[in-house]
Amino acid sequence: MTFGRLVSRGIILALLAVVLLGGPALAADAPKRGGVLRVGNLGEPPALDAHWTTASITETLTNHLYEGLYSLDASNRPIPMLAEGHTVSRDGLTYTFKLRQGVKFHNGKEMTSEDVVASLARWGKQSIYGKALFAQVVEWKAVDKYTAEMKLKEKSAIVLISLAVPNNFGAIYPKEIAEKFPPEIKVTEYVGTGPFKLAEWKPDQYIRMVRFDDYKARNEKPNGYGGGKTAHLDEIRWIPVPEVATRVAQVETGELEFADDLNLDAYDRLTKNPNVRPLVSKPYYWLVAVFNKKEGLMTNQKLRQAWQAALDIEPIMKNVAGGKAEFYRMDSSLAPVEITAWHTKLAGLPWNERNRDKARRLLQEAGYKKEPIRFMTTQEYKWMYDFALLTKQQLEDAGFTIDLQVVDWATLVKRRNNSKEYDVFTTGMGAFYDPTHHIYLTASWPGWTTDEDILRLQAELARETDPKKRMTLWEQQTRQFYEKVPVIRYGDLFGLRGIRNTVKGFNEKTERIRFYNVWLEQ
Amino acid sequence: MTAYLVRRILALVPVLAVVVTVVFLLIHLIPGDPVSVMLGPDATPAQIQATRQALGLDRPLPEQLLKFYARMLRGDLGQSYFLDRPVTTALLERAEPTLVLTVSALLVAVVIGVPSGIVAAARPGSLWDRFLMLSALLGVCVPGFWLSLNFIYLFAVRLGWLPAAGYASLLVDPLAALRYMVLPAVSLGFSQSALIARISRSCMLEALQQDYIRTARAKGLSQGTVTWIHAFRNALVPVVTVIGITTAILIGGAVVTEIVFNIPGLGRLIISAVFRRDYPVVQGVILVTATAYVLINLVVDVLYVFIDPRIRYE
Repeated sequence: MTFGRLVSRGIILALLAVVLLGGPALAADAPKRGGVLRVGNLGEPPALDAHWTTASITETLTNHLYEGLYSLDASNRPIPMLAEGHTVSRDGLTYTFKLRQGVKFHNGKEMTSEDVVASLARWGKQSIYGKALFAQVVEWKAVDKYTAEMKLKEKSAIVLISLAVPNNFGAIYPKEIAEKFPPEIKVTEYVGTGPFKLAEWKPDQYIRMVRFDDYKARNEKPNGYGGGKTAHLDEIRWIPVPEVATRVAQVETGELEFADDLNLDAYDRLTKNPNVRPLVSKPYYWLVAVFNKKEGLMTNQKLRQAWQAALDIEPIMKNVAGGKAEFYRMDSSLAPVEITAWHTKLAGLPWNERNRDKARRLLQEAGYKKEPIRFMTTQEYKWMYDFALLTKQQLEDAGFTIDLQVVDWATLVKRRNNSKEYDVFTTGMGAFYDPTHHIYLTASWPGWTTDEDILRLQAELARETDPKKRMTLWEQQTRQFYEKVPVIRYGDLFGLRGIRNTVKGFNEKTERIRFYNVWLEQ
Repeated sequence: MTAYLVRRILALVPVLAVVVTVVFLLIHLIPGDPVSVMLGPDATPAQIQATRQALGLDRPLPEQLLKFYARMLRGDLGQSYFLDRPVTTALLERAEPTLVLTVSALLVAVVIGVPSGIVAAARPGSLWDRFLMLSALLGVCVPGFWLSLNFIYLFAVRLGWLPAAGYASLLVDPLAALRYMVLPAVSLGFSQSALIARISRSCMLEALQQDYIRTARAKGLSQGTVTWIHAFRNALVPVVTVIGITTAILIGGAVVTEIVFNIPGLGRLIISAVFRRDYPVVQGVILVTATAYVLINLVVDVLYVFIDPRIRYE
């Protein structure tokens, strides 16, 4: 065999190897276009208006239809989405946003600064994040077709993050729609710039979203919630399946490709099924008992400290997580580990103290005489009821009298706005992307944290723009939190989802599900 | 007869007026608020107040009730807070699944219930009798959702014969509609068949002890003719009553089945409406269910005339 032949044979062999080994592997990794992805979720959204409600189901759905000026990257920091970028004036008071050009709405109209100005003005009157930001804004106007300008009263650290949060977010609607619907009335015409557009909404049956063919993606790789987005799927069909056992069965039989919000006891069953994979969703919620600090027994800080001192959190978390270590995490940081920018590791905090003697001492100092404390919870979310029940036992062992009031969710969310009707209520805290977004540290949210020191630090955090100084303030606020105890932070609970093996490209790292960049392998 | 029918239909009006008023007051008096649910867990009290105003929920209750009456007289049941459509539209959309489920479950219930009652009565105390009545007892005792979930696990997840849940319209795809309907109809029909079976058995037993049956036997008529022609028709009146009640229960009460099998019917609609405090929808569904109850009662009463010629309405 001549050298030349040897070489050419080698090349052929090498090529063959690429085709045989590398080829199929490459082909399997390449996204496929087409198909319908059926997602089973808990229920019906109250609206498809991102400005209007903080409901998480609305957040999930609307983020496929609409986009904001900014989005969050993989480490939950703001990155431009519909904005090209921004500049800040030297005094820090004027933000100038350059918009991307040629971005189309689902109705074919090009997105320009007048749409952005009208949409964010509406958002600024209704959304909790929008209101917080627009309280600082003195002027918000279009400069030219692709430029908008925001003038602030004072320096602010929350401009970009507020525009980037996915919940209750600053979605850009066409000007005509943003102006047609006043902020307190939900939008019922659904036109956005997102990779999917709404095709049909049959309540309690399905919401169909189809690929938006004129979608203009960013020329970047997918990054967290943002970056380049591609709609590989022809259609996403969101099917409300209220019974959780049915959701599990349907993802097992292949009637659903994806099932959200499953009960933790389905984990083993999904692990055994060769066609399905269980996904542990983090962050999900940290469990929280919120005190009424406006009136009643819990206005007494010593009493709140006694509650904090008495708790043994691990057995509570273990029980709520169905005994599975995969589903809970013991952590005292107010931001979960996944929000890397704001996760704190502070030693010596009075969290999970398991100190009954201290609790009894504090009860005595508080002048507590076994008056019943009205603790409101619901069975509609099993984890809330479970942790409330276990808390009651532990606290009563330490000398509290707890009047556990079990109501349905609609009653709970109504009553918690009335300071006369309760002392404590249960809920969960999802991911907050900025220290100023932690609602339980504000005076306007139920429970009413009006402590001057807490609010002063919140105000400083909103003004301070240097990231390092902000982190120092945030650590200070965390220590203050454990001293003043506006709410009780339990551990982190995780959620469970089920996904068929045919679903590829799903980003497991985000708090809520997204199906752009996802494809189906048949 | 015609006069009777007119009277009965007119009697609907006060019944429905009472039902509607009671439901309106009850749903508004229980705590909870649609707006707090809709605006989500992080909404502030100020936001909630603004939206309550926009929906007219901050108005005094008597005023809201009067407005509700005025609208209803015009045939307008109001607008759903949640579903962004008139309540009448929402009800119409849910009517087909509930009707299909009711009819098919009723079919299952009658096909299982009536023959087993008759067979059991024909040989009281026999093995057949004991077996059938034991099954009926099981049907009454086993909770519907437990049976449904086990059916799903066995026939959908393990065997893969039928879909686990969902619904297809009979008008669009009859074959798929049938496949989706088998499990819900059987699990709902089975538990409803129990009552029908027990009533059929006891009525047949009673009828079979009557003098005319002895006469028929003495005439030398066959066992089949005696049972089916002479006894059965006479035993039918209470059975039809029970079937009527079952139908009414199925129309308003297939809630669990509709939720487990994810059928978008009236039962699911009212449950979600109660949880969301979607007041207009709750009122709408109750109105429809109450009307159905009254009308089914009427149909049953009219059927008596055909079953038993001795019954006459003046």
